[in-house]
Amino acid sequence: MQAAVSARTSSFRKRAWLAIVALLGCIAGGVYATNYTLWIHGRNGRGAIGNHLDFSYWGADTVNAGVNKRAINWDGYNRISATNGLIRDALDCYCTGTNWCYIAAHSAGDNQIGYALSLYGGTAREVKNPDASCMGTGATQTGWNIKFVSVAAGSGGGTELANYGAWAVSDPLTSDLKTSTARAMYDHNQTRSTWFYMYAGAKGTSYSALLPGQDDEVIAYHSSGGVAGSGGASYCNPADWFCNYLSLRADPNENGTTKWSYHYVSFRDDGQDYDHYTRQNWQGIASRLRADMELYAR
Amino acid sequence: MRTFGSGRWHAALAVLGLGVVLGWYWLQPGASANENATAVTAAASPAAALPGAQGPGGDPVSAAEAARREREVRASVRLERAEQVYRSYRESTRFPPESRPLEEHPDQARPFAPVEDEARLRDSTGRPVAGVRIRSTQDRVFVTGTEAARFTVEAVDDEGRPVALVVRRSFAQSVPDSKTLMTVVHADVPFADDGAGADDVAGDGRYAAQLTPATQGFAGRPGTIRLLIELVANGQQGGVAFDLVYLPEVAGAWSGAREALENGALNFYLQAQVRVAGRYVASARVQDANGVPLALLQFNDVVGPGPVEFRLPLAGLLVHEKSPAFPLRLVDVEAFLLKPDAFPDRTMMPRLAGVAHVSQRYAMESFSTQEWQSEQRDRYLAEYLRDVTRAEDELKEVTQPRR
Repeated sequence: MQAAVSARTSSFRKRAWLAIVALLGCIAGGVYATNYTLWIHGRNGRGAIGNHLDFSYWGADTVNAGVNKRAINWDGYNRISATNGLIRDALDCYCTGTNWCYIAAHSAGDNQIGYALSLYGGTAREVKNPDASCMGTGATQTGWNIKFVSVAAGSGGGTELANYGAWAVSDPLTSDLKTSTARAMYDHNQTRSTWFYMYAGAKGTSYSALLPGQDDEVIAYHSSGGVAGSGGASYCNPADWFCNYLSLRADPNENGTTKWSYHYVSFRDDGQDYDHYTRQNWQGIASRLRADMELYAR
Repeated sequence: MRTFGSGRWHAALAVLGLGVVLGWYWLQPGASANENATAVTAAASPAAALPGAQGPGGDPVSAAEAARREREVRASVRLERAEQVYRSYRESTRFPPESRPLEEHPDQARPFAPVEDEARLRDSTGRPVAGVRIRSTQDRVFVTGTEAARFTVEAVDDEGRPVALVVRRSFAQSVPDSKTLMTVVHADVPFADDGAGADDVAGDGRYAAQLTPATQGFAGRPGTIRLLIELVANGQQGGVAFDLVYLPEVAGAWSGAREALENGALNFYLQAQVRVAGRYVASARVQDANGVPLALLQFNDVVGPGPVEFRLPLAGLLVHEKSPAFPLRLVDVEAFLLKPDAFPDRTMMPRLAGVAHVSQRYAMESFSTQEWQSEQRDRYLAEYLRDVTRAEDELKEVTQPRR
């Protein structure tokens, strides 16, 4: 009897030690399951590339913008394809292994995450430790761990401002943002079944003559609302009787056109209160996005 | 697979709580009956959505109760989101990512259809010209090797009636991406409405032109080419611009196709000779014998160089659900070599427009009814389900606090 108790005690100690060793191994290997909120900005990036704590593009880094927020900075100047490696590196760093990500994007950040998911979302990814070094663990997995993507003023469908050369500076990114080019760049429906929650602003005035339907002064509803098709068209708020409205959710629009698959209009600016610009203070339509990331990204 | 039997009470409470709040919200002036802010929108600022410090009957409630209600609203919408994401993923991933219903990719159904646009005529400063609209098409955005791109323009008034159009000047030029000094190539690209060359019908008011970069000075110069058109419509001047991406090299050549019924799926194998090893991205559409669109099949993997096969799988479960008429037709194939971190980011394979392969006839019993199974799917479903459970627990904590 005593021998049996002794054997059980020994077995218990052994299991306890194994559990402790396993726990320490998890800690050393960064295997804690942690959620991160990655913020991918748009044109004219301000944050230091590689500094994931630099939220200069967005605003104060003290605000609640989702759990463990990280700023995925790129130059906001060069082509999507030429700079997308920075986005994929960040996804490898924070969104592999036991770690999961919420993605928040603004403007051309939509093109960045859409491009990454469509063309690289089913590829073998190196599992990395989500620390400053983002070193690989030696393991690989298929695709990233992404809970959902939320996009304010998304330019995945391009903008007519790029079509008509309205921007004074013609940078390489502007060519990517022409409506025909942006929509042909990748299959926007191929999100790997990950939802894109879209936030569309309508407080546009200066460029209303250039942008069809409602716009936030840079992006028209056809893009910020994720409307499918090879070119842009006019979409408005329900109050406008002379223009088809952009539907909420993933529903077809008033004229029957559809959104890209797994695209869901979370916010349509019926009050025309939100423009495009963050003003480095979490303003414009990004304010709605930030509020929802605070709500959902936990 | 998880059902929501155990969480129905929580969901019911969530809906009830949400209904009280949103019922108040929807009754406010300015609300539209059919198209209003979603629950998500209303819940984005739950404090704003809450009916102040009053109960449903107008009785004042304590600050603690108001705070509890706000937490309840937040917990409710989080649960709603978690359930939506979980259910949608579970439903969607019955088929693998590379074998999808074609209706899920609405703008990929006709990959070689021209890009169409209609917008007001713009003057040289970009301002719209009243009463004149320009309809334009370009038949491709990516042009490879010796391919040509075709463009059309026509002018109409606000009622869609044709308006007299004169193309005064049209030329293409390279658009440098670099700030370093480089030669900018120019080439005239004449538009005509004479029924010859690129133009289909003489005198119909639709002008057409064709640009062949390889023979018009752009050979060996990958990148963006911008076609600029100066025109006069209804006596008013304006301009139109098109962009295309020129890719001088061709990634390889197609050499055939075959099919194989394997593990309950119908796999189409597109055979090719590729020049360079790398990640190739290919897509093809499947129609049934009556031309009914069925599926979009995609390939994305590293192959080559030399003779290769791109495997495009048609999931058995998708065949069961669509019940297509056999034989099936594999149509409109496009493929490219994907170049990471570069612009241009691709080298195209030649287009395979139309039917690339016709399948044999198969009995429906030949196909598997199994859902897609993979480590990736299991990983996602497990995490999404954990999110649902967490959200349920959180809502329970708010609605049934521990004493």
